[in-house]
Amino acid sequence: MNDMKKIKFFVSPLVASITLFFLGCEEPKLKQPRETKPDQSQEPSNSSGKVDREFTRELAREFAAEFVKEFAKQINHKGISLDANQSTGAFKNSVSKTGLVDASGKPHPLLSHCSEDVLEFYQKNVDCFSILSPEEIPNDLEWQDGSSEKEFSSPNAKRGGTFHAYMRDFPRTLRTIGPDANGGFRSYLLDNNVIGLTHAHPNSDGYYPGTANEWAVGNDGRTVYFRLDSNARFSDGKRVRASDYFFFFYFMRSKHIQAPWYNDFYGKDKFQKVTLYDEQTLSITFYKAKPDVVERVSIRPKPEHFYSELGGEYLTKYQWQPEPTTGAYVALPENVDKGKSVTLVRQNNWWANDKRFFRNRFNPDQVKVSVIRDNDKAFEIFLKGQIDAFGLAKTEFWYEKLANDHSLVKNGYLTKVTFFNQAPPPSYALRINSQKAPLDNLDIRVGFHHAMNFELVLERIFRGDFVRMNTVADGFGERSHPTLKAREFSVDKAVESFARAGYSKRGKDGILINERGEKLSIEIMTGYKHFEDVLVVLKEEAKKAGLEIKLKVLEQTAAWKMANEKNHQVIFSAFGTFVELFPRFWEPFHSDNAYQEKGDLKYLENGDLKPGLTTKTSTNNFTQTAVRELDHLINQYREEEDLLQITKMAHRLSKIIHDHAVWVPAWKNPWLRVGHWSWLQFPDDWGPKESTDYEEFQVFWIDTQEKKKILNAMEKGEPVSSQPTVREYKKYESK
Amino acid sequence: MIKLNPLTLKKLRRFRSIKRGYWSFVILLFLYVFSLAGELFVNKRALLVSYQGALYFPTYGEQISGKEFGLDYDYEVDYRSLQKKFQHEELGDWVIMPIVPFDPYEMDYANEGSTGFSPPNWKTGHFCGTDKTERDVFARLLYGFRIAMTFSLGYLFLTYLIAIGAGSVMGYFGGKTDMIGLRLVEIWANVPFLYMVIILVSVMPGWWGVGWQVSSLLFIMVLFSWTGMTYYIRAAVYKEKARDYVSAAKVIGVGPARIIFRHLLPNVISTLVTFAPFTIAAAISSITALDFLGYGLPPPTPSWGELLKQAVGNLKTAPWIVISTVSALVLTLTLVTFVGEAVREAFDPKKFSTYE
Repeated sequence: MNDMKKIKFFVSPLVASITLFFLGCEEPKLKQPRETKPDQSQEPSNSSGKVDREFTRELAREFAAEFVKEFAKQINHKGISLDANQSTGAFKNSVSKTGLVDASGKPHPLLSHCSEDVLEFYQKNVDCFSILSPEEIPNDLEWQDGSSEKEFSSPNAKRGGTFHAYMRDFPRTLRTIGPDANGGFRSYLLDNNVIGLTHAHPNSDGYYPGTANEWAVGNDGRTVYFRLDSNARFSDGKRVRASDYFFFFYFMRSKHIQAPWYNDFYGKDKFQKVTLYDEQTLSITFYKAKPDVVERVSIRPKPEHFYSELGGEYLTKYQWQPEPTTGAYVALPENVDKGKSVTLVRQNNWWANDKRFFRNRFNPDQVKVSVIRDNDKAFEIFLKGQIDAFGLAKTEFWYEKLANDHSLVKNGYLTKVTFFNQAPPPSYALRINSQKAPLDNLDIRVGFHHAMNFELVLERIFRGDFVRMNTVADGFGERSHPTLKAREFSVDKAVESFARAGYSKRGKDGILINERGEKLSIEIMTGYKHFEDVLVVLKEEAKKAGLEIKLKVLEQTAAWKMANEKNHQVIFSAFGTFVELFPRFWEPFHSDNAYQEKGDLKYLENGDLKPGLTTKTSTNNFTQTAVRELDHLINQYREEEDLLQITKMAHRLSKIIHDHAVWVPAWKNPWLRVGHWSWLQFPDDWGPKESTDYEEFQVFWIDTQEKKKILNAMEKGEPVSSQPTVREYKKYESK
Repeated sequence: MIKLNPLTLKKLRRFRSIKRGYWSFVILLFLYVFSLAGELFVNKRALLVSYQGALYFPTYGEQISGKEFGLDYDYEVDYRSLQKKFQHEELGDWVIMPIVPFDPYEMDYANEGSTGFSPPNWKTGHFCGTDKTERDVFARLLYGFRIAMTFSLGYLFLTYLIAIGAGSVMGYFGGKTDMIGLRLVEIWANVPFLYMVIILVSVMPGWWGVGWQVSSLLFIMVLFSWTGMTYYIRAAVYKEKARDYVSAAKVIGVGPARIIFRHLLPNVISTLVTFAPFTIAAAISSITALDFLGYGLPPPTPSWGELLKQAVGNLKTAPWIVISTVSALVLTLTLVTFVGEAVREAFDPKKFSTYE
């Protein structure tokens, strides 16, 4: 008893002091992006310790360079002619032809600011990097500038206000490349923000200008010429230089960024040549004359003045130091509240502010993204008005928690939107690891397909709003297979399949066993705690087919890491899909992403896999698919240039993967559903047809007057709306 | 019969005289035994089936396939629809179902429109309504109670085992053993329990199979909470060590193990018993808290924490879940607390011990 009294005695002053402490903490004030001073040197502000290290490293490099020069001079002086001299002479000759350096070793004026390391890289890869004179640009090019395309933003847009968003977890880094960088937060920094040479128009099949004002495809079909916008600037005020496009490839091919996928994607075999003609013109040569070659080579320039060159400390140095951006929003280290929120601030003198296709977009002055770990809690915070928008795709939210007769919706404070779009859906699916027993047996996999009752899930949990996805490549228009359907739930077919694999008897608990008495038991892992109920339903229904499912629901990051190690049996996951002309098969289904050994070395004569191969981790091939015929077909598919052939091959590949039965598709929804506060306004047609979420194209704006009005009305309890606040946009509904 | 110390007998009699505690104990015991036999009262399997003259007892034992009863499917019989079918056919076959004919795992999507969260309905048999995927809440409460209590008893047993071992060693031997041991115990006791359990549980199950998750959860919980009792046992052993009978035993040459187990521990039991109910209450709360956060038992194990999570997420749309779960939780913990208070009063040393 005494203890209890003592505790009670201490609790109240403790609580009081804690409350006072928290009240006393102030919100950190936001800092604006740096004012543009042209001569301000871009030296990232490091802690004093780091500066010293950097400084000494620079000194060491300078010293080494000087020493080498002196040494070479001394050797020359003494008249000793080395073979190296002659070869460097020849080397210099070839280099001077490509214009990178002239005869005396001085770099071309376009590259005069480059560091030694970078210049050396260009010189080593002269077949890739060259500088030619403007006369060499062909005369017969058809220059396009996107003037025939319509803008998709609204002229009614108003600037200003703070947009409040939330994220489930704090980003692990503010880098956009390298380990841990491909999280959801990257879209605020890169995907929806940074401007590239051109961008694909979201409502048509054309393009609109970005950092390039005009572009033209050369006669070979795979070289694209660009005329740059001389106004393009980074967020620190420095101009975007033509050499920044060279630097992009230095960056992406460097080992220091520790991003092998990028090394390969922007490697020499794909991006064969980059040529500068003058400060305003460049061309990029792709390896194949693909139908969407302009989109493929529209890279985003990297700020060379920020990095100057890359070293081993790239990861740590730029972990929380974002690079200057050509996009509208800037993340500054001062506005990062570690673990809690990141605030992106709109640039004051954004170079693209009035540029066609960028005006009337990126309207809020600030975007504050806070961490809210629990989805239900985020919803409650949204209802209080502290988050501006919330995805309502889940049926429980749309029908129950924020039903149409909810007071906030009835009074017009909140708006519910259903927008029918045309975009490839995120690929929710059960990915079966085809190298783990018993799933290495095709019959077991087929039986597994038939034992998954997605029909019940779609009918009851999603109330018929969602539809079943059918192939690995739905949503790509013509390129999706027209008739292929997912395997239906059928106890008979499942049992039949399992029996073919040896599991023919039902054990005491109804689960199938084979002759050795082993139970048919498969483990499904997932990081999606919010889809736990879907998996529970699947598990119960699978019992009917004699299949025992064991569920492992982990933290999202833990599940992701586990899947990357390819130790799972089945994983329920989804990948976001970019809107592209045709689907990708290499990343998820080629054996080079399953095993370290390259190409056909993995296979024996008869096509079976060799034993003892090394699994390749951290790739998208969660199904560990390694089939030789499939590999060859995928290789062919990547090389193909004709759209018709590509379409045929895409169909064929979808069918083969369907037959290989490693991928149980789940659902897709033909629309996106969003709830937002009515002070958030959208254009008349809400957004481009390829929108997959409300933040993607940044066409919305915040009406601060409206916000005040709504908040006032909320206090008084009066309704506010004149228009209906449940809206449906069927303009882009696919029939 | 075990020959109990007459002092202990007095304490037990005293416990019985405290009506509130005694009856709480009886009710709790009854509830636990009832939940152990839960399959007879809350189950989707019928108690008794008479089909074509033969009797079947499907409750315990193997699954009976539908083909046995003339149905066209091979997997387990749906006894509820079987009952309806027999009633309809009137061929003399009958099915007796338990009082609540539902299982904590099955989704009852019987009606056309049911999409989760059906309110309580006495006609259909869902006395406390259903949860998000149409699973019966009462069934999940009962089986969740069973699992929580079993978990707590296991927790109690293991914690006390380790505590007795460590405490009596430290208390009996004293000196350096005690000094070093106590420092180690203090350091370990300062590790925050809930955080460590959450961290370990979110990291470990990735490598272990699913079947290991429950036992590893128990192991991790015990790992961070055995230090509490160790202090008390150590103090009690110290106190008893100073008594004459221990010196007497030492003089005639009895070894330390025998002294500890045969002479000291029976007198220390009263301390243990006094803390037992509160340990159980703490264990139930911990496992519920862990399940609520999502770091406890793997899905779809019925547990109160998981029900509470659903309840909290759907306060307005499904109030029956929160009402039933919170009531059950409050009832159980109140009963346990009453028992604990009664035990503490009954085993109060002031009334029984004599000081020299």
